[in-house]
Amino acid sequence: MKVLVCAKRVVDPNVKVRVKADHSNVDIEHSKMSLNPFDENAIEAAVRLKEQGLVSEVLVVSIGGAKCEETLRTALARGCDRAILLETLENYEPINIAKILQAIVIKEQPQLVLLGKQAIDDDANQVAQMLAGKLNFPQATFVSDLSLSGTTLTVSREMDGGTQQLELTLPAVVSADLSLNEPRFIKLPQLMQAKKKPIEKITLSELGLTLTPRTRIISVIDGEVKKHCTLVKTSAELINLLNKAKGQ
Amino acid sequence: MKILVIASAKNGQINANLANVLTAASKIHAKCDVLVIGSADLTSLSKLACVNKLLHLSSIADEQNLASFIASIVANIAKNYTHVLTAADSYGKDLLPRVAGILDLSQVSEVVAIVSPNIFKKPMYAGNVLAEVESFEDTKLLTVRATSFTPYTALAEEAAVEVLSNSAEINPNISHLGETVIHSETIDLSHAQIIVTGGHSLGSKENFVELIHGLAVKLDGAVGASRAAVEAGYASNDCQVGQTGKVVAPKLYLAIGISGAVQHIAGMKDSQQVIAINIDPNAQIFEYADYGLVGDLFEIVPELINQL
Repeated sequence: MKVLVCAKRVVDPNVKVRVKADHSNVDIEHSKMSLNPFDENAIEAAVRLKEQGLVSEVLVVSIGGAKCEETLRTALARGCDRAILLETLENYEPINIAKILQAIVIKEQPQLVLLGKQAIDDDANQVAQMLAGKLNFPQATFVSDLSLSGTTLTVSREMDGGTQQLELTLPAVVSADLSLNEPRFIKLPQLMQAKKKPIEKITLSELGLTLTPRTRIISVIDGEVKKHCTLVKTSAELINLLNKAKGQ
Repeated sequence: MKILVIASAKNGQINANLANVLTAASKIHAKCDVLVIGSADLTSLSKLACVNKLLHLSSIADEQNLASFIASIVANIAKNYTHVLTAADSYGKDLLPRVAGILDLSQVSEVVAIVSPNIFKKPMYAGNVLAEVESFEDTKLLTVRATSFTPYTALAEEAAVEVLSNSAEINPNISHLGETVIHSETIDLSHAQIIVTGGHSLGSKENFVELIHGLAVKLDGAVGASRAAVEAGYASNDCQVGQTGKVVAPKLYLAIGISGAVQHIAGMKDSQQVIAINIDPNAQIFEYADYGLVGDLFEIVPELINQL
């Protein structure tokens, strides 16, 4: 059984992004880039299923420029077996990413699609659900626990006020929360092995797709709101402030 | 323009942030239809001035109210509207993108301001950046960040209720096994006026409960936690404030032993007043606080609990 995971190349979560002078977008050309943290959780879950002998192949897909090859190498070092890079200079929005993945799912026939619940750049949280809707597969989003037995997947998912337990029959789409697992550290031998694993490059036209933008970013501004902090010296001063706030 | 707002009912209660979504909808057009999924009493909702018509999918049981079951019904209704809005809570975030996938439409997530019927503001990069986005779709799908809009309250004559007889399209490939509801002795984070949040430096679950819960109870507030505190098992996932947890905007946010990572700031920066307690005078949280006290939380918090 095959599992499909994704690897989005995003600005490193520790980088503070800056807005371009013309406010057209953010300036990330020289920023450190990383594998999207939620995708790391999804990849880790898929690799663990393989290590348990429940899955035969973990296929990882990335969509973007040539540098996504680095991101895919990281995913391969984490234990994925094979990679596909859809090379494009376009920055596709979630609905178009879902269409690309739909075409790849139809071609590759994975039984399970395991994606990160959101990417930390656009924070959209859409692709897994869109893909599930397009494929008419059952979906489980924001998953914090999963176990597989044959073609039955049992999950626990995070929701406001608690967790929900679902049972899905494969094929299915799952999106991973950070609480799903603790991704492993990669060691040098794994990085070396990853260099030998295959990365297949494909294009949009090979998938028979033409995509058009549905939204556009008009402008971006700095969303930060720094304040002037008044430091107090004693607990007594804080108690005064808290009593005031409580009385309001 | 035809606007649809999607609401969900659970245990007979309509989602509390619906009133905030209605305010967002009313900034696009004065009137909207509201689709309520699940069984609930719609009387008070029907009296709101912005409500044109209520569509009630009343026969959907709570355990059938899953995106995999109902998205195609919602898609069939949604395609007749110019705008479809729902709250960016765990229900809306699960459902609306699936509807978008079925209809092959894009979606704008976490809308914090309506600029025009085609242009919306939304945060990116954990709220470090605010983007103005234009949508070219004939049907614009939007999830709305409830804390960015005040609750809608204007009243008028009762709107008509149309009961829809659709039953959930039961997909045999998914079933609801159960739910674990977290019962907290303190109030719900999303609607709290005062929130007391603790970080990893609390050191143990026992300390977290004694100090953070203890102070929250004294202030009639809710309990929040940083991601690190949740991961260490000091607090439940449900309490997490931040980019990947809850976004809150209370009157008072008390950050205790919180360093102030951007991912945490993303979840609390719209709070009216922020007070921070941290032993490190260089902690980033002080840059986002109105008042700060540099010191040992294990000495300060017990004093606060005793004297409040």
